[in-house]
Amino acid sequence: MRLPRIALSIRAQLLLVLTVFLALPWLGVSYVRELERLLRDAQERTLAGTAQAVATALHDRPRLFATRPDGIAAFAQERTDDAAKSSDRAPLSASPEVAQIIDGLSRTTARIWVIDRDGTVLARAGSLKAPPSQLPAESFGARLSRATTGRLYALVLDQPSEDFADDAADNGTPGGRDVEGALAGILTTERRPTSDAKAVVVSAAHPIWVGDSVKGAVIVEETGNAVLAQRNLAFERLFNIVLAVLLVGSLALTLYATWLSSRIRRLRDDAELAIDEQGRVRAALASSNAGDEIGDLSRSFASVLARLSDYASYQEKMAGRLSHELRTPIAVVRSSLDNLKQTSLPDDARVYMVRAQEGLARLTTILTRMTEAARLEQSLSESERERFDVAKVVAGCVDGYRLAYPAASFAFVRPSAEFIAVGAPDLIAQMLDKLVANAVEFGRDGVIDISLTRDDGDALLSVSNEGPPLPEMESGHLFDSMVSVRGGGDAAEPHLGLGLYIVRLIAEFHGGRAQAANRPDAAGVVVSVTIPLPH
Amino acid sequence: MKRIAIVEDEPAIRANYADALRRHGYEVATYANRADALGAFRARLPDLALVDIGLGDDIDGGFALTRELRALSATVPIIFLSARDSDFDIVAGLRLGADDYLTKDASLPHLAARIAALFRRSELSAAPPSGDDVLERGPLTLDVPRLTANWNAQRVDLTLTEFWMVHSLARFPGHVKDRDALMRDASIVVDDSTITSHVKRIRRKFQAVDPAFDRIATVYGMGYRWNAE
Repeated sequence: MRLPRIALSIRAQLLLVLTVFLALPWLGVSYVRELERLLRDAQERTLAGTAQAVATALHDRPRLFATRPDGIAAFAQERTDDAAKSSDRAPLSASPEVAQIIDGLSRTTARIWVIDRDGTVLARAGSLKAPPSQLPAESFGARLSRATTGRLYALVLDQPSEDFADDAADNGTPGGRDVEGALAGILTTERRPTSDAKAVVVSAAHPIWVGDSVKGAVIVEETGNAVLAQRNLAFERLFNIVLAVLLVGSLALTLYATWLSSRIRRLRDDAELAIDEQGRVRAALASSNAGDEIGDLSRSFASVLARLSDYASYQEKMAGRLSHELRTPIAVVRSSLDNLKQTSLPDDARVYMVRAQEGLARLTTILTRMTEAARLEQSLSESERERFDVAKVVAGCVDGYRLAYPAASFAFVRPSAEFIAVGAPDLIAQMLDKLVANAVEFGRDGVIDISLTRDDGDALLSVSNEGPPLPEMESGHLFDSMVSVRGGGDAAEPHLGLGLYIVRLIAEFHGGRAQAANRPDAAGVVVSVTIPLPH
Repeated sequence: MKRIAIVEDEPAIRANYADALRRHGYEVATYANRADALGAFRARLPDLALVDIGLGDDIDGGFALTRELRALSATVPIIFLSARDSDFDIVAGLRLGADDYLTKDASLPHLAARIAALFRRSELSAAPPSGDDVLERGPLTLDVPRLTANWNAQRVDLTLTEFWMVHSLARFPGHVKDRDALMRDASIVVDDSTITSHVKRIRRKFQAVDPAFDRIATVYGMGYRWNAE
């Protein structure tokens, strides 16, 4: 079974290969996730460490955790309400001593609570929300990236927000599993979303020991915003680089593929142009100097074409060469026969003499025909071009043919207009000679129709005769050297298949072309030649 | 007795030509290569030389030999004989001073006739014109025995082939001579395009004497015609 062929240009194929690089963003995401996890761990450890440090400072100081009058708790509650309204207020404290200790430890973005066993807040320091800071002036590039890619990233990435519901501050007491764990005597960390899910709060709680009993707990809280911001920053940087690399890479690859495919296309066009529809080499291919495989291909094309053209010209010159080689032995035979004729021969030997001379005459005719094409090729390059009236030449020729072939009848109407062409009238006459000789030989005594018409700026000269149609497959090679489609038969003249080759050479010399086709009524053949007429 | 030198590398042709010419009463010396021939020419000039262009490996040996022979004598008639018949060879041979050019297709009687004509020409060129056998067509005068052509009393330097072609055309002005007839009259066997280039060369030679010369008309498809006035 054959798979359907998918036609993809080199550019498309390279772009397809380029999709491999789409793994880069995925790798980036994994990397950033890992980074975020590490940052979170670090944050939790830091918070736990802070909680431990504060707790260590408060260990074994039972006085701090003495049962206080209810008034203090009420006071604390009242202050907590105030604190919820304004976070930059001085930290409230039910226990000034504790407050004094933790004040020294508080950080800008962390909040430290100290509670007793009942969950009563003894002291609090710091705030979860960062004070609005003066942002440093952004560079143009940063602004540009924020305006373009930043927006894109904002769609996929969680953005840190300072506008979240601070539950613990609202309630006045910290809560959560970490507090329970700490009161049970274990250092516990917890990560929980705020109630409005706009941020994540990380908290660590450490028990405060007095002797063997837990007297309270230190809770250190911080939002995940810093980590989130770091992660986003890393993510953006990474993606900016990946995007730039992808963009530049695909641009470069597309350009490269375009360049490659244009070279290949040019090579293909050149190769197609180098050979015409009859398989003849029209012009040598200009081989490229490029040192790569395409240059190599072009050079090998050029050498193949050169060899093909050598072979074709060898074939075309073969007739001439062959006749040249045959001349000397024929001269030997001829001079021997001539000498023999001068001696006294018995009468019965004279018959053979005559036959030998007849054979020699035919051989000479063949030789002459064979050289004609070769000589014509040679003389074409030296022919002088002149302006002449094709109609006049054709009319003169047709008059001549009526005398030369009395058995055949010719139909020709001389056009009233002139057909001024540039070329050699002698050659046109020679070409018509060949066409008519062919037509007469094939013509079966029918009328030979010669016509000269104007066809779109060209003169169209055609000779049509009745006779056997052309074999379909040969029509492309009919005008090549030594190609004959005549069936054997009893023709007295030898067929070398050079007549139409001569026609082609002369037509091409005049910038025209020759073609042969069967007549529409299939009763004969039309050979026509177009000759461009300059204006 | 006239002495003819044949320089030809093919032994069979050499021997055949020598036999035929001896039968015609000439004394014949044959040479297979340029060095032998030149040595003999230096010792004694032949009365006529028949030279093949290609002499074995010496592809253009005949041309070189002609140049050397012409340097020895300006008047010895030289006939080129070659398997080649390209225009280039013909022109090159004639330019080097050959009097005629024949391809090896020419038969021995043709060859003998040419040789006889050339001898006659060289014999008669010294003698005063006899007045017989002179063809006059307006400004054209063809002295048949001497094989010379004059246009407006100026000498037109024609080869034998060209002379016979002009003679054939001018004998019956206005009559069209086809290529076969011209070949017959000039005793040559060549293809049509050679006839065409012969005619072109003839026109050019006359035009060199008289730029307005246009007596030889091409009748397409038929042949050529000598136009009277």
